[in-house]
Order: sequence, then structure tokens, then C-alpha cells
Amino acid sequence: MNALTKYRHVFLVGLQSNLVYRWNFLIRGFFSLARLAVVFILWGAAYAGLTQIGGYSIGQTFTYFTALIALQFMVGAFNEDYQIGEEIRNGLINQFLLKPINYYLYRFTVFLSARAVSGVLVFVPLLVIYPLIRHQLAFPGDAWRLLLGAPALVLAALLQFTLAFCFGLLAFWFLEIQGFVILSYAAETLLSGQIFPLDLLPPALFKAAQFLPFYYMMYFPAALVTGRINDPVAAVQGLAVQVVWVGLFLLIARFIWLTGLRKHTAVGG
Amino acid sequence: MSLRQYLRIWLACVRYSLVRTMMFRFDFFLWSAVELAWMSVNVLLVEVIYRHTDNVAGWSKYEMMLLVGTSMLIQRLLMGFFWSNLFEMGRNVRTGYFDFYLAQPGNPLFMVSTRKLDPDGLANTFVAAGVVYYSAHRLGLHPGVTGVLLYLALVACGLVIHYSLFLLTTSTTFWIIKTEGIEGSYFTVVDFSRLPREAFRGFASVFLVYLLPAVVVSNVPAHALIHGFQPAYALWLFGVSLAWFALAVFVFHLGLKRYASASS
Repeated sequence: MNALTKYRHVFLVGLQSNLVYRWNFLIRGFFSLARLAVVFILWGAAYAGLTQIGGYSIGQTFTYFTALIALQFMVGAFNEDYQIGEEIRNGLINQFLLKPINYYLYRFTVFLSARAVSGVLVFVPLLVIYPLIRHQLAFPGDAWRLLLGAPALVLAALLQFTLAFCFGLLAFWFLEIQGFVILSYAAETLLSGQIFPLDLLPPALFKAAQFLPFYYMMYFPAALVTGRINDPVAAVQGLAVQVVWVGLFLLIARFIWLTGLRKHTAVGG
Repeated sequence: MSLRQYLRIWLACVRYSLVRTMMFRFDFFLWSAVELAWMSVNVLLVEVIYRHTDNVAGWSKYEMMLLVGTSMLIQRLLMGFFWSNLFEMGRNVRTGYFDFYLAQPGNPLFMVSTRKLDPDGLANTFVAAGVVYYSAHRLGLHPGVTGVLLYLALVACGLVIHYSLFLLTTSTTFWIIKTEGIEGSYFTVVDFSRLPREAFRGFASVFLVYLLPAVVVSNVPAHALIHGFQPAYALWLFGVSLAWFALAVFVFHLGLKRYASASS
């Protein structure tokens, strides 16, 4: 069986098992609408009497936050770290160590199938409220944004997943990893621009944020498709930095994996 | 059982929780850091918004900070005293372990709600109180002892509201067994409590300010500290907390009647 067929099957099985959770994803999507309401109310009040905040209109800011919701369901890591940690803890991982399958690629394929399901389902709640927020949104129509946005999304997904993978592997050393996961999630949420668009930070801090990987996990693709990054050259540079971060993350993941395996005692199974 | 006996049970639970925390010190620091990180995120959001504007819905930066601090204070109190108890109630109803609480000679709701204390949540109430104190200081407020006591009484009403909302959420487990993730609905409501009441318009105002207690819970105490105590507002909050508590207790007991234990 060649490698592609192998992972295609993993993807198809993953698709089926994630379709079981369709209601879960849908409910989560509708909860996200409440968060969007918080954003609209807060920023709507902040914009009162102002035409621009940080150089962007209210429409552009609403568009940014709406796009974030779609992107979270398309490329975000949900509980992959927890799942991986559980597989290590209860010994389910042992079966993969004995088979000719790469655990990272296996988990990444499952992640892709999960995001395929949630990435499509998120459009249900978004379409439901679309008539209400249609006039508030201002999507730029440039073709180059989509052209560069697509690889930026794939790279963001790789970054998000690989970070989650690394955190999951901490289960080789710690019995309980939820604390680490939620702590890193707080940092990631803030530094990837999910609380506020990063360009509203003081310039020095904004610059500093660009040196961190979190910037490329969500803010960069979101800013690209919603018109907060307007220079195609800067966008291509951003893509290049994303590639470097992905490479670095993969190396780190490989290192943690190999070190962790040596600690692994293969309980249960 | 008399009030004295309940107090003794509660104190025993407190002692047990503290001993447990001292056994898992690393966990205590880690989870305190987690909560601190999320609180910092909320404070930063205020900081960033007010870099670009002077007022949001008529609230200045430190007034807003005081509101956010108040909202965090109420939430930390819930986390410290009741969160894991009610959270585990959902799980226990599913597994049938809930029988254990019914077999105890006290009021089931009391037994369920007070079994554990989370010192990490309580440690962060000091941070939240610090945010409130700092904001009040920057606003030049001098509420005096009465002012502070009234503020604390209103915060207590807020705690009752949050407790009731979360109890209502977890009580759904009596009807719908599979409720993992249902606590998300509580957090959704809490998100609105960090916003000033004046920012809500039209339907959002009717629904979130008047129907659901999402907004009054933090706005009334913060307003009292900033603009002075207004009996009408305080009565409003008191009435709302009483009504939601009554509803939550009623639903809990309704659920209790349905409970038929689980597993073998």
C-alpha cells in the first residue's frame, strides 16, 4: 500500500468519525455568534463618533472579527493536543508505534478531516446571520489576496496543528497537560490577534508580535484576506516567514517526539 | 440539620481542599497562572481600545477597567467556591455517582455545591480586587466604608446570579445526559458582563440587559462605586438575583425528581 492510499483512508475514516460530531461543531459555531455579538457591541460603542480606529473603518474591523470565526473553524487546532495526550496516557499510541505509519502524519490527516467538517459547518451559522450583518461587512475584492491567502491558511493550519502536537507530546512527561494547554491557548489567543487586531497595539509591540509564531497562526491570514495587509510584497514576505516557522516547528516536534519516545513506558494499550 | 452543623461541614470541606492544594502545589501555581493570563487578556483589551478612543458608551478608560475588574471578581468568586462542584455534578449525574450526595443527611444542593474549594480561583479574586482598587484610585473615588460594603453586597448578589446561571446550565444534565461542553453557554453569558449597559441597543438590550441577567450583574456594582449608591438599581439587582436563584433551585429540584441513577 503506498503512502498516499494509506493516509487517504485515514482521512476518510477521520471524516466519518468527525461527521458524528456535526451537532457539536454546529452548536460551537452558534456559540461563536454570541462572541461575535460581544465584539460588535463593544467595537460598535468604541466607534461611536469616530470614522476610523487605527486607520480602519468599523466595517473593516467587523469583517476582521467575522473572518476570524470562519478561520478558527477552518484552520484552528481545537482539542488535538488533548487527544494526543490522552492517546499517550492510556497507551493507545502503542499500536501506532508497531505499524508502518508516521504518527505525526496520521494525526495531521485526522486533523485535516476534522477541519474539513468544521470548516464547512461554520458557514451554517454565518449564513444564518449574514442578512443581519451584510451591510456591516467590507471584504476587499482583490484576486491576489485569495491567491496568497490560500497558502497562508494552509501554513497557519500546519503551525496550529504542530504546536498542538508538541503540547500533546508533553504527556510523555506529565500526567496532566490541560493546564499547559490552556495557558498556551491564552497566549496564542492574544498574540494571534483573536482578542483585538494586532495592528491596534502600539507600533513597537506590534513589531515585536511579528517576531513570534503566533502572529502567523491567525492574524496574518486574517489580515491578508480582510484587507489589513495591503502590500503584496509584504504578504509574500509574510508567507516566507510562515514557511520558516513551519520548518522550525516541525524540527521541534520531531525532537520532542524522539526524546519522549525514550521516556515512554507503553502503559495500557 | 442546624446552621451550625452546615457550617462545620463546610469548614471540613475547606480544610480538605486546602490540604489537597498543598499536596498538588505545582497544579495550584499552574492554574493560578492560567486564570491570571485570561484576566490579563481582558485588561489588555481595555488598554488597547482606549489607546484609540476616550470613551466607550460613556465610560472612560478606568471606569471600564473597574467594570471589567468587577466582572472578573464575581467570576473568580464563582470559580473559587462553586465551579468545580457544579461542573462535577453534571458528570456525577451521568455516571450515577450522584447517589453519593443523595445518601448524605444534608440538603442535596448544599452538599453538591460546597464539597470543594478552588484556592487558585480564590487567589485570583485578589488580583481582580486589585484591578478594581487601582481603577477606583485612578478615578479618585473615595467610597468610604459604607460604599465599599454596599459594593461588596452588590457583588454578592452578582455571585448569586452567576451561581444560579451555572446551576441552571448543569441541571440540564438531568434531562439531556450528554451535556459535555454545555458550560460554554455560561461563559457566553459572562462575556457580555464585561460590556457597559449603555452599549446595548434594541433587541440586544431587551434580551441581555432585561431578560437575561448578563449585563446588570456587573454593571450595577460598578455603577454604584463610580456614581454612588442608587437604591433603585440595587433593588433591581437584588430582585433579579432572588428570581434567578429561585428558578435555579426550582429546576434543580425538578431534575432531582427525574434522577433515576445510572450504571449498575
